[in-house]
Amino acid sequence: MYPSVIEEYLRPGSVSEALAAIARYDEGEAMFLAGGQSAMQAMKSRMLRPQCVVDLQDVAELRGIVHDNGALRIGAMTRYVDIAGETTLDGAFGALRDAAAHVGDRQVRNRGTIGGSVCWNYVASCMPAVVLGLGGTLELAAADGGTRRLDADDFFLGPLETARREDEILLAVSWPAPAARSGSAYKKWGLVRDALPVVGVCITVTLGDDGHCTQARVALSGLAGGCQRAPAGEELLRGGNGDTAALARAMDAIADSVETHSDMSADADYRRQLIRSIGSEVAATAFARARGG
Amino acid sequence: MSAVENSADWLGARLARKEDLRLVTGQGRYLADIVLPGMLHAVFVRSEYAHARITGIDTSEAAAMPGVVAIFTGADFKDTVKPMPQPVVKPNLPARYPTFWPLAIEKVKFHGEPVAVVIARDKYVAEDAAECVYVDYEELPVVRDPEQALAADSPLVHEEDGSNEIFAMTLTGGETPEEQAANAAAVEEIFQRADVVVAERFRCHRTGITPMEPRGVLCDWNDSDGLTAWITTQRPHIDRLALSDLLEIPAEQVRVVAPRDQGGGFGVKAPFYRENLAIAYAAKALRRPVRWVESRYESLMNVGQERDQINDLEIAASKDGKLLAVRNRGVADNGVGTTGVYWGFVMPFLGAVELPNAYTWERGDVSLRCATTNKAALTPSRAFGHFPTRFALERAIDMVAHKLDMEPAELRRRNLVPSLPYTSVTGEYYDSGDFVKVWDNLMAQVDLPAFRAEQARAREEGRYLGIGFACGVELSGVASELLVPMENQPGYGAATVRLDPRGKVYVFGGDAPGGQGHETTTAQVVASLFGIRPSDVVVTTGDTGTTPFGSGSIGARAGSYFVSAVAKACAELKDKITRILAHDLQIEASVQHFEFTNGEIIYLGDAAKRKPFTEVVERIIMFPINLPEDEVGGLEHTAFFEAAKPMICFNADCCIVEVDVESGNFSIKRWVTSEDVGTVINPNIVDGQMHGAIVQGLSNAMFEEFVYDEQGQQMSADFEHYKLATAADVPDIEITYAPTPCPHTPLGTRGIGEGRPSSVPGALSNAVCDALRPWGVEITDLPLRPGSVWQKLREARG
Amino acid sequence: MKTITVTVNGTSYEESVPERMLLVDFLRDRLALTGTHVGCTYEGVCGACTVHLDGEAVKSCMMLAVQADGHAVTTVEGLAGADGPGPLQRAFSNSHGLQCGFCTPGILMNMSDFLARHPDPSDEEIRSGLVGNLCRCTGYVHIVRAVREAAREMREGASGVQA
Repeated sequence: MYPSVIEEYLRPGSVSEALAAIARYDEGEAMFLAGGQSAMQAMKSRMLRPQCVVDLQDVAELRGIVHDNGALRIGAMTRYVDIAGETTLDGAFGALRDAAAHVGDRQVRNRGTIGGSVCWNYVASCMPAVVLGLGGTLELAAADGGTRRLDADDFFLGPLETARREDEILLAVSWPAPAARSGSAYKKWGLVRDALPVVGVCITVTLGDDGHCTQARVALSGLAGGCQRAPAGEELLRGGNGDTAALARAMDAIADSVETHSDMSADADYRRQLIRSIGSEVAATAFARARGG
Repeated sequence: MSAVENSADWLGARLARKEDLRLVTGQGRYLADIVLPGMLHAVFVRSEYAHARITGIDTSEAAAMPGVVAIFTGADFKDTVKPMPQPVVKPNLPARYPTFWPLAIEKVKFHGEPVAVVIARDKYVAEDAAECVYVDYEELPVVRDPEQALAADSPLVHEEDGSNEIFAMTLTGGETPEEQAANAAAVEEIFQRADVVVAERFRCHRTGITPMEPRGVLCDWNDSDGLTAWITTQRPHIDRLALSDLLEIPAEQVRVVAPRDQGGGFGVKAPFYRENLAIAYAAKALRRPVRWVESRYESLMNVGQERDQINDLEIAASKDGKLLAVRNRGVADNGVGTTGVYWGFVMPFLGAVELPNAYTWERGDVSLRCATTNKAALTPSRAFGHFPTRFALERAIDMVAHKLDMEPAELRRRNLVPSLPYTSVTGEYYDSGDFVKVWDNLMAQVDLPAFRAEQARAREEGRYLGIGFACGVELSGVASELLVPMENQPGYGAATVRLDPRGKVYVFGGDAPGGQGHETTTAQVVASLFGIRPSDVVVTTGDTGTTPFGSGSIGARAGSYFVSAVAKACAELKDKITRILAHDLQIEASVQHFEFTNGEIIYLGDAAKRKPFTEVVERIIMFPINLPEDEVGGLEHTAFFEAAKPMICFNADCCIVEVDVESGNFSIKRWVTSEDVGTVINPNIVDGQMHGAIVQGLSNAMFEEFVYDEQGQQMSADFEHYKLATAADVPDIEITYAPTPCPHTPLGTRGIGEGRPSSVPGALSNAVCDALRPWGVEITDLPLRPGSVWQKLREARG
Repeated sequence: MKTITVTVNGTSYEESVPERMLLVDFLRDRLALTGTHVGCTYEGVCGACTVHLDGEAVKSCMMLAVQADGHAVTTVEGLAGADGPGPLQRAFSNSHGLQCGFCTPGILMNMSDFLARHPDPSDEEIRSGLVGNLCRCTGYVHIVRAVREAAREMREGASGVQA
């Protein structure tokens, strides 16, 4: 219920200060604190017992949504409320707003950040699947001055695991300018409104001149294996024009290809059904957005 | 509010509550807000296993931590605290009552059972230390399934009992086995000749009501006064007796205070809990105030778990739609049962009593077995015991209607008890009211033929609408006739009404509300009777040091028993006031010749003869000379109200849903009710009780579930997993009234709200099944969720 | 221990606190502002502890007190004006939007932030806005009514229709 003893609380003003602070501690001893809406749960349940907390709230360079000739860069400390309210995130980036607007509740969205969520990579969370489904790039910086850029496919390693090293900080998630006629969408299902996803589906499609899909990415949340792509469905979406029957076939293929589990929220069969019903709706929205609708 | 002037108008007025000002400004005082000098903090170490032998407890590391004052384990209590059961917390029902102490001794019997308690100067440190109490366990086979628990070869939860059957009873046919067998044979004969029989197994999951404020207790000891215990409790007077008896502290040295502000109770705060004993013992031993504030995790692991029954229910009916006989074999998963007053089985007992509901049956054969398992004890939750039985019965009635190809609403109306009083086949007495009037009012709100036409049109469009009905007889308080056998406690209501020389009125009640607005309703009653304003009335509840004995805020006792006691006390005082006033006015008159209104007492025979209420009251209290013969001064009276027979209220629900037959998702389009709550004191408060109860019923039915895994581990002990309905998950609710004043209470009031959730799961699931009539889906299990609807549809479609 | 400076309900406090102290405990135990309640363990789901941090609704059980250093916090005790309870508080009383009152402070703090951003909300928007606050007593019906009534009164007050 209460965090274990924290020896030191630091509030750096820059990325370099933040990295220097974390570097002073051995592995497992210090942690970054972003919005804290997952990390505080983990600290209060004592799943995390940091000796040092490095609070990123004053690192202004980590905040903000920047468009640059169609490219998009979202700072790691950008909050859900800011993403949900950013009307420029439409079309190819519509999934970001779909997800951010329904994470938790108003209070959570006022604190929680995209960076915190993707670095925590909890199975029942939205942002990892959305970043994966949108094919984002994760920009990391280390104390030694080095930076690296990882594809989402290489960043998310499994439940509560990412490729970020503890001495690295996530700077931003970014995307190049999307191809014309691209659209994305995300939706989740939980027992109660805006609950953690029992299943969530993110789909991005790019359409050719003829309206047929040339590129598709599908990512799922809520599965025991963590956020994951669904190649079987992507393959079936490609070449299709988004008609209802084709979308249903693609979602059937996904439902049949992924491993679903049973828990108190839904059994494995119903998780497959949720993939079908949510997925079809999400795909239809993604197609409509790609068409500019 | 300002429009209400005439004294009689206070009854029935939609007044803003007296409680509200402090509560909307953050000035409420809940248990966790109370701090005493030198107060220590307690954290319990709880069992990590469902069933295990304790082979060792090492407290040395924890005890050495700075700030840790003491650590107690079960061994500290074995010879210093009397074990439960003791008479004060033991019903008059025959059962295998397990023996237990405040903390587990030798064995732990459920995941979350208290094993040790750490007392420290700081609550953070107490939690640190609790982590460092190391308990060695030797795991034992877990008793998890109630039916398997009743098998002869099952491992035993309480070995000394020799059986996991904590309680069993046949509630029909008489007292002797021979009489019961004869009744069972007669019921069987009805089933043999019936045109239609429905026989189904209905399951209701483990769920209950979880107050937003968890439990807590703060105990203080001094050698002069003894023990003062602030407890989140619905029944402080019972807690006081229990603390006295079990800790062997003379009764005059125990005072229990239920804080004026409590964050909901709903039955969860009605039992006598072992944690209270542990904290009281610690405070006495350490001679320091000790406070324990329950975490949500502990709360969800230990309390608020109810329902959890299997009911094998059968109904026999004639082809013209007459319900003939009901037969039920209930099995309740009692959990460990180690909870004072209720022991897990009192709820299913009452659930079986209330099974027949508002319908006439020629005969019934109803029996119940309660199985001890390695889970938390069932603890009371609003709709006490009968949430599962009523779900089963209301669902089965729709299934009869389906077999008869009859409107379920029509089948219900034909079989409602036509006139009261009436005694049900399980012996429950229904004192008064008009079920048919309530039902017809409900149907007037819902145009059923129009709905059927809309439903048919929608089906052609591939949309599936459904309508569902259910009704519920609820206890309006609990008369001693029922409460003495059931809980070994009196049912009467008690109130002290005291006037002061300034004409203000102080009411003292021994029950302990948790948000129901008793300060306001009581003040409205007093203001109405004395012709003063509710702001002139101060209501004190829950302090055993100042209030008359009351069995607690349970079973909708306020609107029935407590308010009636208040009215009786006011009547006695009005008698005295008018005797003395008549004497002063030198007239021959008694109370019926006076009107108390707008702050005056007016002689009806001559309106010029009138006096301000305050003046008369001051004269009697402060200037008690020149009194009539045999009168003395002072104005205070304690009255008791008892009903000769139990009293009831009644309600009926209608739910309209739309079901997505692909995903199983369903949404509630409309929820409308009809209620007989007798005379209403404050419609806002009654509406609010109904809204809350119905949404609790919906949340229980659709979202909430306590889940134990194969090893008996509780998997749902936080609000991420134990899902309560949010505002966005539930509908608006239309409450309507078709009241019949209760003839047995002074004001015609009925107690309301306790049982109100029980008709909800039936109405909801009947609506979903009605929507899915094209596939003949019949729901038999709760919770009712999109996944289960989808599964049922899949099976029905083949 | 760390010394922090936090402005709470308009008053600046300088206090030395353990790094791990939750903001809700700072408010309740240090400043005796017990109107902010705790209703869950670690999950931060019930919303009873909702306060404003620099004018935005946040859950004070999901923050360390040290994180509030340099910020302004408003609790339910700071919601009333000089003339007593404000329109939202009055609406909760008039519409019977509370029973036990335990969740109420958190709901008031969330809804006061909500109404500042959504002055004319639909019932559906109000219900969506309330997702972060669990109430066990009211079934939410009267809460929605209270928020709707408060919104109306605040709009009319703002437009000068009603003083």
